[in-house]
Order: sequence, then structure tokens, then C-alpha cells
Amino acid sequence: MVDSPRNRIGPPVPSAAGSVHAVAPDVAVTFLRQTMPFKDLADDQLYDLARHCRIDFFPKGTRLFTFNESEVTHLYLIQRGGVRAFITDEKGQTVLKDYRGVGANVGALGIIRGTKANLNIETVEDTFCYLIPREVFLDLVQNNSVVAHYFLKSFSDNIVATAYSELRKNKLARRSADDLYLFNATAGDMTKPLFSVSASASIREAAAIMSRQAIGSLLVYADEDPGAMIGIITDTDLRSKVIAEGRDTREAVTAIMSSPLKTVGSQTLCFDVLLKMMTTGIHHLGVERGSRVIGVITSHDIMVQQGNSPYYLFKEIGGQKDFQGLYTLAEKVSGIVRNIINEGAKAGNISRMIGLINEKMLSRILDLLHQEMGPAPLRYCWLLLGSEGRREQTFKTDQDNALVYEDPKDDSQRLLAESYFNAFARQATKHLLHCGYPACEDETMASNPKWCQPLTAWKEKFSYWINGAGQEEQLKAAIFFDFRHGYGTEQLAVDLRDFIIKQCRFNDQIARNFGRDCINRKVPLSFFKNVIIEQNGEHHERLDIKNRGLKPFVDFARALSLKHGIRKTDTLRRMKRLLVKKVVAKELYESMVDAFELQMQLRVIHQLSQIEDGIPPDDFIYPEELTDLEKRMLKDAFSVIEKMQDVLKKQFPVV
Amino acid sequence: MIRLLRKIGWIKQPHDVISRNRAFFKNFDKSRPLADYSFVVFDTELTGLKSKKDEIIAIGGVRIRNLQIDLGDTFHCYVRPGKLDHTKATLVHKITPEQLKMVPPLEEVLPRFLSFVGTDLLVGHFIGLDMGFVNSATRKLYNGTLANSCLDTLRMAQIYKRVILGRYHENSTSAKDSYNLQSLSIEFNLPFFDAHDALEDALQTAYLFLFLAKKMQKYGVVSLSDLFSAGRGINWATL
Repeated sequence: MVDSPRNRIGPPVPSAAGSVHAVAPDVAVTFLRQTMPFKDLADDQLYDLARHCRIDFFPKGTRLFTFNESEVTHLYLIQRGGVRAFITDEKGQTVLKDYRGVGANVGALGIIRGTKANLNIETVEDTFCYLIPREVFLDLVQNNSVVAHYFLKSFSDNIVATAYSELRKNKLARRSADDLYLFNATAGDMTKPLFSVSASASIREAAAIMSRQAIGSLLVYADEDPGAMIGIITDTDLRSKVIAEGRDTREAVTAIMSSPLKTVGSQTLCFDVLLKMMTTGIHHLGVERGSRVIGVITSHDIMVQQGNSPYYLFKEIGGQKDFQGLYTLAEKVSGIVRNIINEGAKAGNISRMIGLINEKMLSRILDLLHQEMGPAPLRYCWLLLGSEGRREQTFKTDQDNALVYEDPKDDSQRLLAESYFNAFARQATKHLLHCGYPACEDETMASNPKWCQPLTAWKEKFSYWINGAGQEEQLKAAIFFDFRHGYGTEQLAVDLRDFIIKQCRFNDQIARNFGRDCINRKVPLSFFKNVIIEQNGEHHERLDIKNRGLKPFVDFARALSLKHGIRKTDTLRRMKRLLVKKVVAKELYESMVDAFELQMQLRVIHQLSQIEDGIPPDDFIYPEELTDLEKRMLKDAFSVIEKMQDVLKKQFPVV
Repeated sequence: MIRLLRKIGWIKQPHDVISRNRAFFKNFDKSRPLADYSFVVFDTELTGLKSKKDEIIAIGGVRIRNLQIDLGDTFHCYVRPGKLDHTKATLVHKITPEQLKMVPPLEEVLPRFLSFVGTDLLVGHFIGLDMGFVNSATRKLYNGTLANSCLDTLRMAQIYKRVILGRYHENSTSAKDSYNLQSLSIEFNLPFFDAHDALEDALQTAYLFLFLAKKMQKYGVVSLSDLFSAGRGINWATL
């Protein structure tokens, strides 16, 4: 074979008709442009990438990779057809891991980690792939933040932030971009004035300038050209490279500077500046206008611009003198959700914030009620159950609450308490209803006398659930185990929790039941051609994100918390305790947190956009509504459920 | 007549390019697996179908190595025809005569194309037509024709469908249309695009070639000679 070096045809002949082009065909570029994450590359980058691609064909049933054997020399981008990913477990059973179709890729993880294939990959249809050589791909990952974000993303990575911002951009930004500083203000707007020092200055001289000007960073310019910034020193450098190392402050400042200076253009949106900071981990960036550095921007500068409207609402609720005023304020809550999503809050922050506002609302309602009805005859505690108990409420969902009061000393006190608290709870739930918290269908509310009881009666109920109830009954009682104090005497809730922990220590039957229930749940696996595929191959047109996506996380955390005597009720805090108690490993913990928050986020945004379209919010997400990135993130989230099930299997072995 | 031409050709020594090409292919080893060979899949745009009267106005080619299309190793050139009065060309190929005037003539493009091809095997859809035009050009310019082994994806598709899939009943006249590049691409579910120049046509053909070569591998067509003999039942009239 003759040796044919690339591009031997040479540069294009300059002519009107473009007579020669030794470049990849336009159709190749078109394909890449349609494919995540390459669609964001500039045209010349796309042409360059296309030139390095090869196209291969794999008939149906071809094995592309073998787990732990195949060296990954190329990234495979699927142009036509599809593949399935699977592993073979120790028993020789094939475990399906994924289906990937047009536009998806194979091999990225192996290349980035420099490992062999982490899955078996086989074509399920006649499949054409673009092959991007390993080096070319790595080069892209290293030099292009969008590509890097997409591929470097593991759930413990900053990329999740990008994903969240994508969610915001796609679903919500249209209407609200005007009041969003992240998308409006540019780096130039936030730039701090420039202070710089010569490269030949000593560390002490530099520190003196920083101290005199009260600045946290200082640019260093080249002696021969005061306009050329060659590096930067920050407070951190002074601390870690000078003081901690006992360095002589007469040394040149260049010894401790970070060089070269990383910069952004002055027209860069603050949003993109933040992204750059997150991906590089560098929090001081030079701001360039033309080729001149005009100042510095820090992550702190951007962060301090956050709005404070939830706080304002919070204070207003506390000041209301009548119920009507509270009803009006309650309508503002979903607006708050939108605002804080736009400001970049994660679902976890949102629900904590909403939880605070709801509690404030509740306490104001009960305060006003006491003004009407007089003080309670006994100490009591208003309990929040279910998602409110777990602080996972976003939009107003059904009321799940209960009331526990001190044990009456005698019959007359008992009667008095019964009549007072029943009336009190009925009034309270009515006002909550007017504030937009709908009544619970099966009346799991304090207004139901069954759930408005003295402490001893509650202990009996829990004792029954823990020790006497059948499986079905136990599962139905799950939301009670997520109770927390909402208003009143917290000690009552603490006593009840102590009691439950003690009971469960002697009998872990209910924890086991919750755990086994979670293990037996079917897990969504992947998206393929706009359907959701489950492990057993079943297909669904839509995803029930509450029951299929989030519930396993909630159940997992509840089951193990009961087993390990954890008092917390928030799923995220329960997970944290499980980490501290070494029930789950750090890696799993981090991916659980991210997977859970991500799905919460997706759900919040889904519901918020429904509310804004005048549709009652639900939990059904259709794959065609999702972007490639969202699908990919969800898929990752699903894969975490499997790992959690493995933990549960070890914690609750079949006896 | 043919003998006479040959004689003249023998008297006029063929150009070095042709002699070297012929020497290379004289004892060409066809027994190796297909993946061992390099192929150039090419397509020409013509002013018409008559090799005596009509001319090449564009050549596009992509290289296949290790049975993979190399998008970084492509060829695409427009050619200034000798006669510029082919008004048809402006309609068919969306190239104006004005634009064609700016591009190099075949005498300049052909050497470049031949050096791109080198000793790779040539692949085309209904390749006989394209080779006819290319060889008439090499005859003029180099006093001889190319000896590169040629593969016709149309023939391969016929073999695949009739011999391998067992669809003997489809005779070539009634199913004639179903053998054009577009219909085959759709039938085999290949990545399909509206090719708008010779390069993209060549790429479309390359997809077809890859598909057929790898599909036929599964049925025991492994080496180059397997591929040639697989077509023996059908009349291989490539050149």
C-alpha cells in the first residue's frame, strides 16, 4: 500500500467556486454539530474534529468492548443504530446496564480514566459509529470547557452545577432572564480596579500593597512590559506558600505567584465566569478588554449579588395580624421558588427554604389561633409528617400532620384536652387549607381524632407498627416515621423519637420491611428512543419521578435510619448520618446526594413550569421533554439506586 | 481497430505513472482479508453519460483503511471541462459555467487524483462508468489505463441480496431502480443524506461499501479474492 499522508491535497485553492477542499464532508460536520456535547464547538473546531474521525460499521450483534479487557482507543459516537451495555456478574448472569442510541457515545469513561472498558458493549442493530481517537478526544476534554463538563461529570463533580444551570436555562430562563444578574451582568460590570506589582518586587512589598488597599489579590506584571500581567498572588498564596512554609518575604513575588494569569473577556456573562471558576477551581480571574487586563473578578464578587426575597417574605409572615393576610402571603410562595431557582439554588436549598417559610406560616396560624381560643390546657407538639417531616416539600402538597400532647393526669383533664385539641386542630387544618395546603385524602391530619393523641397513645401506636403490624400496615405507616416537630413543645417529639429508636433497637423488623421493599422495587435503567427502559426490559412512555426516581432514596434513608438509630428525618441528613456511621461509603454517599438533589430539581422545575402554564403540577416526565443532558443525568441517578439496593441487601440479608 | 490502438499504445511507451501502476498490480495478492487493503471510494460528476462526448467536472473520493472511512483523508476537486458550452451542467450540478472557468483543467486534477489513489483499490457505485471516464483521461495524458483492482458496490449489493439473502427472484431489470445508491442506502438503513457534491456521493457510497463488506464477512466473504469469486455467478463487467 502506498503511504498516504493526511491532507496531501494541500490547502484549498483560493477561488470563487471553492474548487478544492481537502476537508471533511459537510455532512460529517453536520452530524457532529447535532451531537452532544460537540454541538457547542465553533465551526473551525468542528471541521478539525471531523477530519480526525473515522467511520466504522458494526453489524447487529458485534461486540465492541469487553469488560476489563478491551483497551479504549477511540470514543465511539453512534450515528445510526444502537448498542446495549451490560456486565456479567459472578454467577455468569447478564445484567443489563444501558441502551444507547443515535447521538450517544461509548468509551468516554475508559479514555478519561485511562482504564480498560468498564462495560461490555454490543450492537443491537446494524450500527455506524464515528470514531474519535483517544488523543483527539482527551485534547478536547482538556481544552474545551463544554466538552469537559459533559464528560468529566461524575456525580461528585462540579458539572452538576452546569447541569442545573442548563435546566434553568432551558425550562425557565425565557421569561425571567431580565431580572437575572447571572445572565445579564458581564465580567466587566463586576471587575474590581486593577492593582499590580512588578515581577521584581519582594513578597513583603506585594503584601504591603494588598494590606494598604485592602484587596485579596494582586496582579504581577513583567518588568519589561508593565501592561503584561504574568501572574497573580492571593491571600491564600501568602498564607499557604509564605507563612505555612516559612518562606523569606524578601524573595521575589514571582516565587509564589500563580502563573500564567487565567483570564476572561470583559463581555463574558457572570454566569459563564462562574462556570469557568467552578471547572478550573480558580476563584480569581483576570478580566481582559481587548488584550489588556483591566482588573480582577472573584467568585465572592458574584455571590454577594444574590437576592434576598425569601427572607423578606419570611419576615412579613411573622408580622401578620389576621388570617386573611396570611392567605394572601401564601400565594407568594411559588414565586419565591422561581426566584431562588433562578438564583441558582439547588432543590435541597429550595425545600429547606420552603420548609422554613411553611413552618413560619404554621406557627403564625397557630399563634393567631391561640389568641382566638386561649392557651392549650396541656403542652403539645404539632408534628409534620411525610415530605414535610423530611423537609422535602416544594410546591404545596397534601397536608400530612398530627398532634401529640402531654399525658393528662386525670379523666377531667383528658376530656378537656380532647375537646380543646380536636377543635384546635380542625381550625388549624382549615386555615392551612386556605393557605393553599390541600387536605390529605386519607385524612392523615391532626384534625382526625385518630392522629390527635396524648404521648402514651402515640407510643402505643408506634409500638404496634414496630412490633405487631403486618407488612402492608407497616409500609402504610411509613410517613409517620418521618415526623418532626413543627410547632409547640419540642420535647414531646424528642420523647417519641427516643421511644421509636429504642423499640427499633430490639426489633428491626420494620426497618427490614422498609429495606426489602426498596430492594424489590424496579429501577428505571435508561432512555432509548424516547421510552424508558427498566432493568427487566419493560418499557414506559413516561417517568414517574416521585415514585420511581425519588422514593427509593427516601425509603433507603428511612430504612437504614431506623436500623441504625438515626433521629434525623430529612433524606439528605439521614444519608449524611449514614456516612458518618460508615453504613455507606463516601463515594456512594456523594452520588446519592447528587442523584437525589438532581431529581428533586428536575421535579421542581417540571412542576414550576406546569404551574406557570396553568396546569396542576404532577410527577410525570416524558422523555421527549428532556434534553440529552437531562436524560444522561437521570440515567446516572438511576444507576445509583442499584448501588443502594446492594447496600440494603447486605444490611438486610434474607434469613 | 482495438488491436491497432494497442499497437500504437505499445509503440508509444506508456507514461511512468502507468507503468509503475501496472507493475504493482501485475502479481497483486488478493488472498488477504479485506481489512488489509486500502480503498479509495470515489465518484465523478459528469456533463453527461457518453464517454466520448461528455467530460468530468468533479471528482470526490474518501479513503477506507482497515475497513474504516477516514474523514481526514479525502479528495474533492472541480474540473474545468474542455468545452464549456454544456449548459446542462449548470442545471444538474448547480455549478455555473462562470465558476467552472475558475477551476483547473483535468490535466492538472488527474495527477493529483492519481497520487491520492496511489495503489489503493478503487470502489464506486456502478464504477464502470466512472472508470471509463478516468481511463479515457489517463489514456490521453499518460498513454495507458489504470490497473487498480476495482469493486462495484452495485454488484456487491446484487450479490448480497441475491446470493446471500437468497433473493434470486429479483431480476435486474424489474428491480433496476432499487439498485441506485439512494434506494440501497434507504433499504439498508444507512446514514443517509442529500449528497450535494461528488465528495458526499463518494461518502454515501463508502457507507454502502462498509455495510456490504462487513455484512458479507459474516457469510464467509473474508478476503479480496472471496469477494471477487462471490460475484462469479453474476457477470462482473467492471471495466
